Order: sequence, then C-alpha cells, then structure tokens
Amino acid sequence: MNSPEDVRLRLDAVDYLVDDGLAMAVYLSLRMGKPLLLEGEPGVGKTAAAKALALALGTPFIRLQCYEGLTAGEALYEWNYQRQLLAIRLAEARQEKLADADLFTAEFLQDRPILKAVRHDGPQPPVLLIDEIDRADDEFEALLFEFLGEGAITVPELGTFTAARPPIVVLTSNRSRELHDALRRRCLYHWIEFPSPARAASIVRRAVPGAAEPLIRSATEFVGRVRALELDKAPGLAEAIDWVSALAALGVTDLAEDDVPRTIGTIAKTPDDRLAVAAALVAARQESR
Amino acid sequence: MPVLLRGVDRAAFAVAFVERLRGAGMAAGLTETGDLVHALEASPPVSVNALYWTVRVALVRRQPDLAVFDRVFHSVFGDAPPLPLTRASVPPSKRDDVHLAVPHGGDDAAAGGGLPWATLPPAVAAADPAESPLHTPERRPSELAALAERPFEELDPQQLDDLADVLRATLTRWPARRTRRHAVDPSGRRIALRATIALARRTAWEPVTVVRERPVRRPRRAVLLCDVSESMSAQAAAYLHMMRAFTVVAEAEVFAFATSLTRLTPALRHSSAREAMARATASVGDRFGGTRIATNLAALLDSHHGNTLRGALVLIASDGWDSDPPEKMTAAMSRLRRRAHQIVWLNPRAGAPGFAPRVAGMAAALPHCDHLLPAATFADLIAAMRHLSV
Repeated sequence: MNSPEDVRLRLDAVDYLVDDGLAMAVYLSLRMGKPLLLEGEPGVGKTAAAKALALALGTPFIRLQCYEGLTAGEALYEWNYQRQLLAIRLAEARQEKLADADLFTAEFLQDRPILKAVRHDGPQPPVLLIDEIDRADDEFEALLFEFLGEGAITVPELGTFTAARPPIVVLTSNRSRELHDALRRRCLYHWIEFPSPARAASIVRRAVPGAAEPLIRSATEFVGRVRALELDKAPGLAEAIDWVSALAALGVTDLAEDDVPRTIGTIAKTPDDRLAVAAALVAARQESR
Repeated sequence: MPVLLRGVDRAAFAVAFVERLRGAGMAAGLTETGDLVHALEASPPVSVNALYWTVRVALVRRQPDLAVFDRVFHSVFGDAPPLPLTRASVPPSKRDDVHLAVPHGGDDAAAGGGLPWATLPPAVAAADPAESPLHTPERRPSELAALAERPFEELDPQQLDDLADVLRATLTRWPARRTRRHAVDPSGRRIALRATIALARRTAWEPVTVVRERPVRRPRRAVLLCDVSESMSAQAAAYLHMMRAFTVVAEAEVFAFATSLTRLTPALRHSSAREAMARATASVGDRFGGTRIATNLAALLDSHHGNTLRGALVLIASDGWDSDPPEKMTAAMSRLRRRAHQIVWLNPRAGAPGFAPRVAGMAAALPHCDHLLPAATFADLIAAMRHLSV
C-alpha cells in the first residue's frame, strides 16, 4: 500500500469503506510501523477495520480479546507446566540429571497471541488486534509497552524474541476508562466518527447486498434519528446492519410493514430503549403517510 | 502532483505547530513531534485535507483534545489559499512558478506563536508562600470538633480549609471490589501454579511448598454529583472541599450541577487546595442558578462518562429541590439504579428534626437510593465518610 488512496481502494475491495481520516491513519501506521489505537462509539467498525486490513493484506489475523484480569500468561506466553513436570519425572526415571536450561526451552513455551504475532514467520507480518484494551486492568497496559515500542518480548528464562517483520498492531478502546499516556504515546491515534447518513447507507448496502435500496435508505435514516434520542445504548452501524439484514430476511421492503416492530430488538438493547424506539417508529410511520 | 510545504524544514514546522498546540492547552510531547516528522515524510501532503489528517493522526492521542486541535489547525491553515494548489487553479496573471505559498508561523513571535527558540520563555512566577508545606495550622482537636458541629454558613474560609484537612484525613478506607486478577497470598484458596513451580526449582523440582493466591481487591470507583444551585449556596463551598477529598484520595469522578452539568475532576485534582478551588469555581458557569437534577442525571448517563457509573458508588449531594417533573426523576434514578452499585444521597436538610422527604424530587428519588444521609455540618460529612468506609 503506497498511498492513503491505495489503502482506501484495497479496503474497498474487501467491502470495508473508509473515510480520508481512517485511510490516512492506516497508511501512516503501516508506513511508520507504529501501532494504531482506534477509539469510537461501540459499533462504528473498529474491530472490523482490523479484520478488513488483514484480509486486504492477505495476512493471518490474530486476535486478543481483553478482559479484566487478563495476565501475561494469557496474552504473552505461558510455560507448559504439565509437560515440564512430566519431563522431570521422565528424567528421574532414567536417572538423568536435569539442568534449568533443559526445562526452560522453546519446547515448553506456549505461545499466546502476542508472542505468536512476534514469532510468526511468513512472508508478510500478521495483523494483531488487541480488542477493547480498556477492559483490561491498567497494569496490563504496562505489559504491552515493550511489545508496542520495540516489537519484542522478553522471556526471562530464554531471552528476547524480536519480530523479523514487526506485526501490524491495531488496538481498540471503547473509552470505558482513560488509557495511560505512556500507551497512547506509543501508538498513532484515530477517533472514528459515526458516519453521515449517506455513508452509513453505502456501508449497509455493502454489508447486506440483498436488501432493497429504499429500505436501506429509510432504515439508516431512521437509525440516525434514533441516535439523537436519549438511549441507554445508542444503535451503532453494527446494529443498523443487523436490522437491515433482519428486515431483508423477512422480505420487508418498506418500514410501514407490520413485521417491522417485531425486529426492533436488533437495534434497541434494553427495555427502556425498546419503548423509545417503538415510539419513534410509530412517529416515523405517521410522517411517511 | 504538487506537494504542500515543499522546501519547508519539517522538523521546524512540526516543533512550531506542536508548540502552538501546547500553548492552546493540548498535551503533546517529543514523541508526537517525532511522529509528525515521520508522517510528513511518509505522506507528503497534497491537500489541506490530507495535511489535516496526517497531522491529526500523528499528534492527537485522545478524543477530548480533538476540539483544541481543530481550533488551532484552522487558525493556522484557515487562511490558506484554495487548495490543492495546482497550476491550473491559479489564474495566469497570478502564477508564480518560483514560490509556493505555505502557511507559516515564524514571524508572529510577539503574539506568543512562531518558532519556540525565537523568544525567551516567560519567567515563571514564584509559588504562593501560603501554600508552602511548612504551613501547619495550630489547632487543637477539641477546637476543630466544636467547629465541625457548626453549620457551614457560620464558618469562615480559614476554618473551612482546616476542616477540609480533617475531612481528607478521615477518608482512609474505601469500599473495595473483587477483581479477576490474582495475587500471591498465604491465606488464598487457589494454588498459584506459576509461583509453585518457580519455587520447586530450589527443591529439585519437588513442589515442597505450595504457594497460594487469592483475588486482588481494588477500590470501588466513585462518582460524586454536587448540587451548586441557589438553594444549596450555603453548602457549596464545603461540598467543594468534600469533592476534592474524594478526587484526591479515592480518585473519584466529580460533577457539579445546577442547570447544566460540569465535570470538575481535572480542576480539583490539582495538588494545591487553593488553586484547585479557584479552578473549580471558575469552571462552574451556572453556579447559584436553578436546579434540574433529573435532566443533569440523564445527561451524565448519556455522556461518555456514563460508563464510569457502571458498578460505581454514586453519591448525590442535593436538597432535592428540582424544577424537573418527578416522573423524569424516577426515570433517571431507575436508570442510575440499574447501572450503579450503590447510591447514597446526602441531603443537608435530612438532619433537621421532623424531616420528611416532602419535596417531590426527593420523594421520587428516595426509593432508588440505598442510603439517605444528613450533610449539614462537617461532623455530618465525616460521619457519612465513616459510613462509607465500614
């Protein structure tokens, strides 16, 4: 990929539409070899961006889903204790003498996603997605610094693994807490805005090819209107896509049809929201009449 | 394709632009400046739009900074000629094949902009001597205890400051929550496999000592909402001190509200008490106005700070006089109830004899609160804090 425009076209080819800002962010992150931190409201396509990037580059996609309590053992590497114990017992049975170095070798090392990305030996570096980093504890961020800064991981017993080709790293965050400045400093940052109705319509069109054009337009416009209401969980693009595919599956072509209220569960995710969205739908139908 | 900023020293441009951003209050350091230089090299800007995205991706690292960045970028590049600057877009009479117009910030050093090395940095004012750590109030505990019983409106600012110190010292324990992380602890139930094996290295790989671990407990997040409307004017100063104590000790998120919601956490986090109070007072625009509790609660729930309420300890300090209808209060409080772990309402009138929640707003909110505590004197506040820490 040799220009932001090229990034846009290559991602377009795998059905992921980007605007100028995201194209520039992806391009700079690839060229400068820096991790890319994506933030935005839930459902604007942060995770999908990383997946599309892997698809467009034709490289393996490695995903690390963060959660509270995530530790080095689950993210970087872990020793295979069972095998180590077996090796010890085996050595005892054979009356052999075991040294530390025999037990802490690559043979007993279990790769977890980040080490897997570092040790990957293909023609192309893999895309590593560290998803929802804000869900992990703040101590976990510090674990990532060496990897994000130098693309290396140090295993004290074995030495430092350095990636032959630094993996392409994408981090996403939902802003449920502020990330530490040290982490931000090591990444390029892009805030993904919710797309305008016209862009949203073209994204939904790509995601649900079977849906009728007027349905897509009225549904995205309705979702845009619902987003302005005070909802617990405002529907994002992912919800809009779900809704349109639900409507398309039911064979609906117009929002005025009777099946539409029954599909509200795809865009309203709490009982309060359900009432508010249902009221908005009734209002929208009366308007269109 | 013509390129903007051709022949411009990228490093000087980056440093000057970052300096402007820092002047406007955005945190950007050397790493970001270096990134901008690399980014300009990787993607030479062909239009102002492309330049905007290059600079923004390289420099901005947090969403709240975007507003400042946009303002500074437009103040610098807003007057730029229509772009892209192709030869065809310039009328023949004005064509200049030797120079390329670029926005520059080099010659307005008098206005504080320009290259950072062009001017001497302004002298830093000496610190306020009253804030020196040597200042210790000569107060006997009994005297403070008597002061703590007096209503807020009878206290002078010095007494308020002294009592605020007591308040902060009281806040030593804080409700905890259990995390999913584990730490080695002899009284734990789970066996720490990693530590056990590591220890077994010393005993010929025979796991002689079993190391145990147990879940780590961390302080529960707290969110504090304070009413600063007209009806609460007597308590406002004291509550500000309480908010600062929570921010400094418990890392709470604090908000003040009257007709609109103001986030005070960054202002109150300042290490100097006096400076923090001044900043907080300056940032609240609607002080001593009317009250719209329900509207502000709903605004907080909808904002991106709404997530901090999840599983949090929520304290609301207000007398419950609300100009919103009580139905709205019920709706907002029930939403808050579902999201928060515990809701504590501090009411300055609740300690008065014969108090009953007759105000419509208070009556609507009460079924959703875990506790209603009085908060008319510092003694009340200290008792409330003790109540939280048991």
